Amino acid sequence: MTDNPGTAAAFPYDRKIPIWERVANSKRALAFMFLLPTTLVLTCVVVYPFMFALLLSFQDKTAGVPGRYVGLANYIELLGNPEFLQIVYNTVFYTVVAVSLKFLIGLTAALVLNQKRRFNNIYRTILFVPWAVPTVIASLTWLWVYDEFNGLLNVLFVKLGLVEYGVAWLAEPELAMWAIIAVVVWNGTPFYTMHFLAGLQAIPKEHYEAAEIDGANTLHKFWFITVPSMGSVFAITIMLSTVFTSTSIVVVNILTNGAPANLTQILPNFSFNLAIATGRMGLGSAVNMVLFPFLVVFIVILSGRMLRKGGD
Amino acid sequence: MALTKAGSQRLSRAIGSVILVVLIVWTLAPIYWMINTSLKVPGEIYGQNITMWPRQPTLENYWILFQQTNFPLYLRNSLIVACATTALSLVFASLGAYALSRLQFPGRKLFARTLVYTYLMPESLLFIPLLIIVVTLGLQNTYQGLVFAYLGFTVPFCTWLLMGYFVSIPVELEEAAMTDGCSRLGVLFYIVLPLTVPALAVVAFFSFTLSWNEYVYAAVLVSDVNVRTIPTGIPNFIVEDVFFWGPMMASTVISAIPPLVVYFFFQRYLITGLTLGAVKG
Repeated sequence: MTDNPGTAAAFPYDRKIPIWERVANSKRALAFMFLLPTTLVLTCVVVYPFMFALLLSFQDKTAGVPGRYVGLANYIELLGNPEFLQIVYNTVFYTVVAVSLKFLIGLTAALVLNQKRRFNNIYRTILFVPWAVPTVIASLTWLWVYDEFNGLLNVLFVKLGLVEYGVAWLAEPELAMWAIIAVVVWNGTPFYTMHFLAGLQAIPKEHYEAAEIDGANTLHKFWFITVPSMGSVFAITIMLSTVFTSTSIVVVNILTNGAPANLTQILPNFSFNLAIATGRMGLGSAVNMVLFPFLVVFIVILSGRMLRKGGD
Repeated sequence: MALTKAGSQRLSRAIGSVILVVLIVWTLAPIYWMINTSLKVPGEIYGQNITMWPRQPTLENYWILFQQTNFPLYLRNSLIVACATTALSLVFASLGAYALSRLQFPGRKLFARTLVYTYLMPESLLFIPLLIIVVTLGLQNTYQGLVFAYLGFTVPFCTWLLMGYFVSIPVELEEAAMTDGCSRLGVLFYIVLPLTVPALAVVAFFSFTLSWNEYVYAAVLVSDVNVRTIPTGIPNFIVEDVFFWGPMMASTVISAIPPLVVYFFFQRYLITGLTLGAVKG
């Protein structure tokens, strides 16, 4: 409307409206200008690279050499590699166990923090601390806690007489993945606790009071009031966390880089090693694309929920 | 009946207290070991006489860190990159969030959806093409290259958070200002932004810590020691020195301090900010 030049005539002094003023009064032009930087950033750093990654997975691109289209060769190479199947299994195991543990511990912590207790603010502050610790810092600290000879865990275990010599937590085939998962859980649980505590505090007290009058005990109240009211919070938290846990490189990269014998290797770190250490960028992209269809499902459901809840 | 109810409540609270103690020990143990190690002399860190707390507390490790390692350089690089990313994200995100929450235009819904998609796009999918793009632009081993890559995750996240806050400001305030001859940009600067200072602080904190902590892009886009940031710089102490754990833990303490201090002082805002995105309403 206002961006129609014809409106100039309607002004009493018949002055020509300067272009910047017309732009400033047109919602469309203004929205375009306000969104321009964001659009440029997202296009250059996210949308275009994503399409590029998809394209690369069909090329034999290596560092410094232009890639040629090779069809499904990368995918076929991966599927024919027993090592790769092991890594896919590791990734699924790691993600499912880490997400489940974070969920259980996070829910327990939230329920406990939601109880009436003195100094609850202090306890909450303490339990949220790992969230503020950068993942790289957490990984390096745990690397030291796990140290075979001088780490906290082994020093304690030897002192308590549980083991005679220190255990190489990150080199034992049976233990290494669990050691990785423990770090991911330590660093990531507060994210769940925060969401769940916020969810618990949003449940109206009247629901519990009404149930008490009907003779419900603590367990009844948990199953029939708490769990159903938290459904949406559970879903969003788990999906967000699955996307970010399954694609996280840092913890594995710093603690083991996949050792021993690829038993702690997961897809994103495998792709990192292929593309950066050996320069096989096409193959590395294909590794990530294997994970992508599963992520898409979560991303689409999540964005739908987030748009309904927030945004408008 | 009343007694059993009180009794069951007391029981569940007692169980809760035990769980709480376990959770607190689990949460603090690694942090205790980190701070503890950073204050010990080598004789207490390694070998037969490892102590549970520093018997002869010393700042030696911090001195070594600042005098004999590249840590001061990494610290400076991290500060430059994180501050630049935060400043740009704040500007881009406030403009974008205002347009998305206040201005009606065709494609608004689609844009909001794209924003969420890009926010959820994991960086592990993007680092390979980003490396190629950054190399093509000649931005490898530069601060600009890192900031450019970091905007990819800070901008969608910050825009999304700010949208939630902007919506809560009464439109009447803006309408009144515009009736008095204020332009849209004026409204944004003189009315909306001053009213959302806490939100801007939260957004600034998130983009600062996200870029302060970032590891993958930093490892891929920077190989030059002079441009390395803390996350990619300090793991190299492991290869550089045998008795590195003292200074290493000193460096982790220092690197954890900025996000922790902000967290302790602003936790209420931060948690509301974090949960707003997902569990709003």
